[in-house]
Amino acid sequence: MSTATRFRTLKDMPKEDYLSAGNTMCAGCGGILAVRIFHKVLGPNVAWVNAAGCMTIAMSYPLSPLKSNWIYTAFASAPAGAQGVRDALDVLVAKGKLPVSEDMKVVVVTGDGAAYGIGFQSTAGAIDRHLDFYYLCYDNEAYGNTGFQMSSSTPYGSASKTTPPTAANPIGNTHKKMDLFEVWRAQGAPYVATLSNSHGVDFLKKVEKGGTVKGPKLYIDFAACPTGWGYDPKDSIELEKLAVQTGVWPLKEAVDGVVKHTLVPRSLLPVKEYLKRQERFSHLFEPAEMTDVIRTIQSSVNAYWAEAGAREGFSVKVPDSA
Amino acid sequence: MPTEGDLADDGGGHAVKGKLLTGNAAAASAARLARVDYIPAYPITPQTEIIETIADWVREGTMDAKFVQLESEHSMMTAAGTASLAGARVFTATSSQGLLYAMEMLYNVSGWRAPMVLVNVSRALAAPIVLEPDHNDVLAARDSGFIQLHSETCQEVADMVLLAYRVAEDSRVMLPAIVNLDGFYLSFTRERVVLPDQKGVDSFLPPYQPPHPLRASQPVAKGTAVMEGFVYSYFKYNMHAAAVRAKKVFSEAARDYKELFGRDYGPVEGYRLDDAEYVIVMSNSFTTLGRQAVNRMRERGVPAGLLKLRMVRPFPTEEVVALLKGRKAAAVFDQNLSPGSGGILFPEVAASMYHVRDRPQTILPVVGGLGGKQLTSDEMTSIFEEMIAVNSGSKPLAPMFLMRSEEMAKVKRAVALAEGGS
Amino acid sequence: MMLRVRFHGRGGQGAKTASRILGDAAFNDGYYSQDFPIYGAERRGAPVAAFTRFSDGEITERGFIFSPDIVGVMDDSLIDDPLANPFAGLRKGGCAVVNTTKRSDALLADRKDATIIAVDLTGMALKMLGKAVLSSGIAAAVARVAGIGESQFLAAVAEELREVGLSEEMVRKNVELAMAVYGQLAPLELRTEELPTKLELVPLAVVVSGEGMEDVTRTGNSAVRHTGNWRTFKPVIDYEKCTDCMICYAYCPESAMSVREDGRVAIDYDNCKGCMICLTECPLRAISQTMEGGTR
Ligand SMILES: Cc1ncc(C[n+]2csc(CCOP(=O)(O)OP(=O)(O)O)c2C)c(N)n1
Ligand code: SF4
Ligand code: SF4
Ligand code: SF4
Ligand SMILES: [Mg+2]
Repeated sequence: MSTATRFRTLKDMPKEDYLSAGNTMCAGCGGILAVRIFHKVLGPNVAWVNAAGCMTIAMSYPLSPLKSNWIYTAFASAPAGAQGVRDALDVLVAKGKLPVSEDMKVVVVTGDGAAYGIGFQSTAGAIDRHLDFYYLCYDNEAYGNTGFQMSSSTPYGSASKTTPPTAANPIGNTHKKMDLFEVWRAQGAPYVATLSNSHGVDFLKKVEKGGTVKGPKLYIDFAACPTGWGYDPKDSIELEKLAVQTGVWPLKEAVDGVVKHTLVPRSLLPVKEYLKRQERFSHLFEPAEMTDVIRTIQSSVNAYWAEAGAREGFSVKVPDSA
Repeated sequence: MPTEGDLADDGGGHAVKGKLLTGNAAAASAARLARVDYIPAYPITPQTEIIETIADWVREGTMDAKFVQLESEHSMMTAAGTASLAGARVFTATSSQGLLYAMEMLYNVSGWRAPMVLVNVSRALAAPIVLEPDHNDVLAARDSGFIQLHSETCQEVADMVLLAYRVAEDSRVMLPAIVNLDGFYLSFTRERVVLPDQKGVDSFLPPYQPPHPLRASQPVAKGTAVMEGFVYSYFKYNMHAAAVRAKKVFSEAARDYKELFGRDYGPVEGYRLDDAEYVIVMSNSFTTLGRQAVNRMRERGVPAGLLKLRMVRPFPTEEVVALLKGRKAAAVFDQNLSPGSGGILFPEVAASMYHVRDRPQTILPVVGGLGGKQLTSDEMTSIFEEMIAVNSGSKPLAPMFLMRSEEMAKVKRAVALAEGGS
Repeated sequence: MMLRVRFHGRGGQGAKTASRILGDAAFNDGYYSQDFPIYGAERRGAPVAAFTRFSDGEITERGFIFSPDIVGVMDDSLIDDPLANPFAGLRKGGCAVVNTTKRSDALLADRKDATIIAVDLTGMALKMLGKAVLSSGIAAAVARVAGIGESQFLAAVAEELREVGLSEEMVRKNVELAMAVYGQLAPLELRTEELPTKLELVPLAVVVSGEGMEDVTRTGNSAVRHTGNWRTFKPVIDYEKCTDCMICYAYCPESAMSVREDGRVAIDYDNCKGCMICLTECPLRAISQTMEGGTR
């Protein structure tokens, strides 16, 4: 795997846009920003394979914001769709029916609902078969397109339309967010990475690096969602930054199973700083602060970094969780 | 059931003997002859033998294609559809639960206008789970936009697969197709099949060239969302029109096929219809039993005949009308059941005849053979007897649900064992 | 008598809530009533519509209102947005209530047969609520014009806003705002007449004359959508302060920024949705915002 990179600062971001202006996503959507940046690194020759979600609506007939190829499949089977495209291109090239210049990068793009849940069977199959494709999951931590119901990616303590905080159940979602990164890694995917749009250079480098790897590559992008999370769209990047700075969203990669954090904060901001800026966590602060819940969130972040530090030999100063 | 003597013509004027093949082997052989590029697969009885055969050929290098086993039929159909969009000729096969598991994708693949051939080996649907055939599986896909060709014999299986590619990939159609064959009665039954020669198939079936495949140099977006019902209606009406056109395209292809290989296929097939007054309408492998019943009735001096539906989608309305009008009575034998309504094909046949002035006075609905229930020749002739009785007014019209007394006795014993008591 | 009301807004402005307030108000006032939004993936800022019908007899209509008696336009930028087309089908003798700071005669010059009412709802909302919440204001204007009783209407405002989870304080303030708008207008004697239309059914043979495949081969053609209409605020770059660091460019989710040949960043106002990420992220505060249009 090459370590040389063409990305040192944000100024190195390619100037070519393969996403045209005029899409139908919400103003300030982190998901579409991820697609835009991802595409810049991949270049023009891409076949996107999509599962149901917000991104599906972005490509509404007769207008296609993406300049490249696109197929909307269904909610559950985008990776299988990628399998079909990849295999077809391979076999047509092998049979001499298609010039190599027509070959493309095959990229699955789905939300977390598909990636962590209904599409997971199909994903597991694609990883098993070592399918050569990219999987970009824009993770807005719920089912955005249907109005923000919980998914397996919804974090503990988040409100959603199907986990509303009530008097009987004041916490909101009581499940822990599933660790998709580890699931892919355990299954032997050669490249797995987390991304945050707010950390553009890290983002660009990871997509570049994955490009040198054959096989299934997962990118989980922390995709701020003003509509679902409840904040002013101007703060999308700020929230993504805060998620990284509080340690809620670690930036890391796993190359052939070896995990490395690509950004190790010297000290973490308290998770409260991140939580309190979003409507989906407002029940943790109003009418009264739910200190025990916030503490639970803080201590799970702290435990994560303690364990990661012990494994990789770094230490991070964490906020008090007591 | 070969009807044209022992020897067939291979198209080059040479008499060939053919060989004994199962329906599954015939399907796989036809896929190979079609020079399929891609086979996404998933096992299910009684279809599995098809994909095993192909996997074997691909591995040993006697079939130049890519074979991939997916993790479900839903995924299998997704991969099949997207590969077709990318320009590959795709073959796949399933059965029963698998077809229903893939159902969401059937509508997507046809909506993409992605031609391919799916062989469905009919097997009745759970619950209760059973391995033998009826047609609830394939008819559940009736409205999906797939062309449907149903086979009576192993020979027809091979021929329908090749015809299906020609029709599906025609620029006037661009729709996927299902070729149906019955589990066990065809899938595992060996009978004489004459396979077309490769050279003939190559001239019959031009390479697959979709108008807008996914390409780096000429990108295309497929399956984009539509936000308005009238745009959706436009595309659906177009799918309908393409499916309707498929009948004419089939007839053209069948003409070429006959010229090359000697076998003649229409959307429907009549048997002893010339002077027939009582006609049974049916499809798939039990049609053979229907023919036998016709012969027995004829021996008794009854002018009986049979109308076989080979093409189920598009529905061959004109052909059905042409062959049923002027008859005294007809019966529609449905090897399927829509609980609360009855057989699924009966209303289609009856509706076809509704505006025809000299339509049969009686159209008798018959349901039988569910879960592969065997049918004796007496059971089959009883359908004609009932038709005649109803039509002569000696009996009121009531749908027939076939079950023999000795079968019922066995059922009773089984129920007693299951539930205790006597 | 039946009145058909169509509300036009942008995703997030509360068109659906307005239609429900009016539906409740009419119901409280003893009418048969019906209300519904266009169900779609409504994105904040994108044109949306919602509908209310009410009648003293049973309602035998359903679905989209093609020829409204009253339209409620929550944002005057919608008037020129072909995706919204808020005055389409407005009946002769009908009424349009528009949230705007413009004069009413500047809005729909070619429809002398309709009554146009201009109200600065945004201004009132900003003053009384501190935010541009428009649902109660537009519902109040329409309810008043339509002659719905005040107490029945105000009860509906409170009911619906509680339903969407507003605090009691905001509910109270909204009721006050609604009262103020209601009090400012007078009922209209509406005698409407459908605009003449001619039904021409297209035979199937015409519908299916083409290839009929759903392919988009002109990929990247979305700029014609002009999502610039979604903007409330407009970002403006001060090129004196800008150092071409490209941070704003990197984080614009819309591809509504480009880097010119000379290295300077530029905003495509046709499609910039006004999310203001660029403004927030510019380290040199070289981007400022101005209000769009007259409404806001
Ligand atoms: C089989 C099936 N079940 C349910 C749906 C409805 N549905 C469409 S999108 C969606 C949620 C998608 O969530 P996610 O994958 O997180 O993407 P997002 O909407 O957040 O972008 C659901 C439930 C569907 N399209 N198909
Ligand atoms: S709901 Fe969230 S993810 Fe979906 S388009 Fe809006 S901002 Fe993006
Ligand atoms: S406000 Fe700025 S970041 Fe947002 S769309 Fe417009 S130019 Fe892009
Ligand atoms: S972020 Fe500010 S300084 Fe940097 S390019 Fe944009 S406007 Fe100029
Ligand atoms: Mg999501």
